[in-house]
Amino acid sequence: MVLSDGYSALYLAAAALYLLGALLPLFLRENRAAGSFVVPAAASLLVVATAIPMILTGSVFRFSSPLSVPSQAVEFAFYADGISAFFMLIIGLVGFAVSVYSLGYAQGYSGKQSVRVLALLFNMFLLSMLLVTAADDVFSFLVFWELMSLASFFLVVYEHEKPSNLRTGVTYVVMTHVGTALITAAFLLLYFQTGSLSFDVFRASSATLGPVARDSVFVLALAGFGTKAGLVPMHTWLPKAHPSAPSSVSALMSGVMLKVAIYGLALVTLRFVVPHAPADAWMGLLLVGAGATSALVGVLYAAVDSDIKRALAYSSVENVGIIVVSLGLSVVFMSYGLSTLAALALLASMYHCLNHAVFKSLLFMAAGAVVSSTGTTDMNRMGGLAKRMPWTSLLFLVGAVAIAGLPPLNGFVSEWLALQALLSSYRVPSVPVQLLIGFSSIVFALTIGLALATFVKLFGVSFLARPRSPEAEAAVEAPKSMLAGMGVAGALCVLLGVLPYLAASTIASSFGFDIKLVSSYSPFGPLMVGYTAAGASSVSDLSMSTVVVVAACVAAALFGFVYVAGSGRKTVVRPYSTWEGGFGQLGVRTEYTASSVSQPLRTAFKWFLGPRTEVRREYYSGSNPLLKRSVRVVSGTREVFEDYLYVPVVGGAVFVMDKVRRIQTGKVNSYLLYIMIVMAFFLMLAALQP
Amino acid sequence: MTLGLALEALLGVLQGAAVFALAPLFTGVMRKVKARTQKRVGASVLQPYYDLLKLVKKDEVVSENASWVFRAAPWVVCVSTLTAALFVPVFLPFSPLSVAGDVLVVLGLFALARFFTMLAGIDAGSPFGGIGTSREMMFSSLVEPGIFLTVFVVSLTLGGTNLTSLIEASARSGAALVPSMIFGLIAFLLIVMAETGRIPFDNPATHLELTMVHEAMLLEFSGRSLALMEWAQSTKQLVLFGLLVNIFVPLGMPDSPDAGLLALGAGAVAVLLKVGALAAGVAFIETRVAKWRVFRLIDLLSLAVASGMVAMVFHYL
Repeated sequence: MVLSDGYSALYLAAAALYLLGALLPLFLRENRAAGSFVVPAAASLLVVATAIPMILTGSVFRFSSPLSVPSQAVEFAFYADGISAFFMLIIGLVGFAVSVYSLGYAQGYSGKQSVRVLALLFNMFLLSMLLVTAADDVFSFLVFWELMSLASFFLVVYEHEKPSNLRTGVTYVVMTHVGTALITAAFLLLYFQTGSLSFDVFRASSATLGPVARDSVFVLALAGFGTKAGLVPMHTWLPKAHPSAPSSVSALMSGVMLKVAIYGLALVTLRFVVPHAPADAWMGLLLVGAGATSALVGVLYAAVDSDIKRALAYSSVENVGIIVVSLGLSVVFMSYGLSTLAALALLASMYHCLNHAVFKSLLFMAAGAVVSSTGTTDMNRMGGLAKRMPWTSLLFLVGAVAIAGLPPLNGFVSEWLALQALLSSYRVPSVPVQLLIGFSSIVFALTIGLALATFVKLFGVSFLARPRSPEAEAAVEAPKSMLAGMGVAGALCVLLGVLPYLAASTIASSFGFDIKLVSSYSPFGPLMVGYTAAGASSVSDLSMSTVVVVAACVAAALFGFVYVAGSGRKTVVRPYSTWEGGFGQLGVRTEYTASSVSQPLRTAFKWFLGPRTEVRREYYSGSNPLLKRSVRVVSGTREVFEDYLYVPVVGGAVFVMDKVRRIQTGKVNSYLLYIMIVMAFFLMLAALQP
Repeated sequence: MTLGLALEALLGVLQGAAVFALAPLFTGVMRKVKARTQKRVGASVLQPYYDLLKLVKKDEVVSENASWVFRAAPWVVCVSTLTAALFVPVFLPFSPLSVAGDVLVVLGLFALARFFTMLAGIDAGSPFGGIGTSREMMFSSLVEPGIFLTVFVVSLTLGGTNLTSLIEASARSGAALVPSMIFGLIAFLLIVMAETGRIPFDNPATHLELTMVHEAMLLEFSGRSLALMEWAQSTKQLVLFGLLVNIFVPLGMPDSPDAGLLALGAGAVAVLLKVGALAAGVAFIETRVAKWRVFRLIDLLSLAVASGMVAMVFHYL
């Protein structure tokens, strides 16, 4: 390991640039403030420029900044190794794309909302995430974590004039603090065990932790970081926060903040708890179970939701689930000492982290372009946008193909790795574990299938066919800067898909795998999956660049064939109206909508989704059934976790508090009585002491 | 290895070309068998070829509602299906491209084709296309667990996901009469029927019926685009049939590329016969079973998943 001060200087420079980006717009006029997003774009590039060489050279940096608190030696300690650098890379890449996008996107708020505030919060959000990834003690980690939570809270309620957004904000801020409380508890347990608040000590003393404390730390961290990452059942804030937040913020929250939570989970699991014995396999199985549940629940709701941003948010729940399944597999393999497979599963998990960061931010940015152009997030009111916004639609399609896990884009590569890890589970020497993983692989496969359907619906209903509302009819293409931001993310989707070697070797070196999962000879080389450290006896290979080249040859041959076979006469492509069964031009109301296209799925999974349709009739006078003012059909699905978990828990808490409130009578006499009772109680306690 | 690398590559390309070229023939054979069992004479088995050549020369009518996605879809569908076909050892026990992609790549490419077919179904704005897409969304997502379980079981039994080594291992072991493979075969057969859109899942001969799924998505295509879509469908069918017979009934298949050209040729003929028999069998089932109601098909797909699960449990126990 090389300890270099150069990297810490670069890191600090990036942080300073974000700070500048936060403060600069305050001195700009409102209509110029959107231009200040060049500063976070530059800062993000600097982060990428710090992270990549750090990973490739295996460098680390460490520094601390003492804080002058009287009588208390508090300091912010920073330490970044390959893992931190990998997550910094995610922050930098997505931060750059979203900052460029914001140059145009923030213009849309000009005159309605304060762009200066948006820029301030945006930069603080990125800065806080950058700081979290390098925090090296409990104090700094929690301070930066809280800064991240608060910045994102204010961004969620940025459009604060809508009352629903404020309600969402309250949900978010409560959930996120429950998560923080659990994380704090995990760190406090570690503190009691080790007597230190430093992560260095935590890392060094993983072997000496008490067994109960170790298990508790893991569970608390899973619950705490899981809340932030959106694992079921703590995911309920996610589908609420995203439709409220500006789309650039959704891109950052889904693309980056969830990954920072994964960073925390990976840090605690792989560095502080360190599973190493078969008895630790339950941790991995718990992760696999939580991940598989999240994946399935997330994708089921995504498949039937007709709000584009909420569906994308649910799909984030799904993807976090996929990431956590692979992480859990890695823990299982680690517990049984199968280090090669553990590395494979971890590679799958981290590859999917990077991929999800890229394609989900792309999709949120494209959805943002659509929402600002049509003014609605309801897919039932969209349609026909592929003709009106051709570039946005192309980029959304790239994101959709990538997230649906289709070749040749990046989603396929990470899902391929995850499936290979699942298929390798037979090497775990325990039949119950094999079967459990086997059954969770069914859930995983179902998730992949539903994700495909979800993105057919998202793209097909929003962008294809005819516009279903005047707003969609009048939609125009997004400004160039927004397209450029999306283009960066789209290009990354292609690059990470066609040349998987680049990302795989980067991840391998940032996590310090000492095995050969990737061929070492060229960036076009295949990924290899083998069970020995040498990688010599590979059982499966994947070379996406070959697939692309072969597909190109096939396309050329096919084109040639069709050209030759059809050369008898010149063919004409004639535009004509859609065949409508001879009834004359059908209205747009007959088109399939987001709700109707997902109806078979809603029926197939009705045991879970509980679809309900309600007819609401309003009458002019009393109950005279003849004079109807309006008939409305409202259909929706059951919110399983809201209805069966949150509502009872919150209701119970309110009930108890209502009862407790009765002792607050407001009379001084009764308060004096309480004081007397408590004092008498303590005197009795003191008297009973031996 | 007695075969040179160049010869192996050449054979691989020939195999791919044979799959493209013979795919419509099996569609024709199935139609003929179906006609005969229904006491009709039926069209010539070469009719799908005449159709394709005719369609390629015809003018196209494209809906005014449709966007560039609709125009691009037939090419994406056909190219990805044909590419997938190149990765699968159908007539030979190997594919030179197995070093670059495995069974998951093949399934991924098929899924890519399906993705664009479903989008094209929506794009014309016709309720027929919408109904096809919405049903295909349900089927494709429910088929996925069954497919993966079959892959799981097969790769556990035969080792790995590399198609060449899978099929070589299968050829070496002969028709493996182990419980896990038998249940795997049941699951895979159901999946192949669903994926190729045969009765009871879908009726490939229907037009303008509210029961159609795949045909509904293709309704707006004409001319060259329709030819590409039809050809892709036939190719996918042949590839899946080939996979089924090579994995589960490897009789006559040589177990390595260096068995000599004669043995390879005999193996190819054996595959042709077996796939022909399978195609005839599927067509025969079609005449004996009615198309099922859409929501009852969930039970059939659950059956595929269930037998996949049974197969996995059998393998581990």
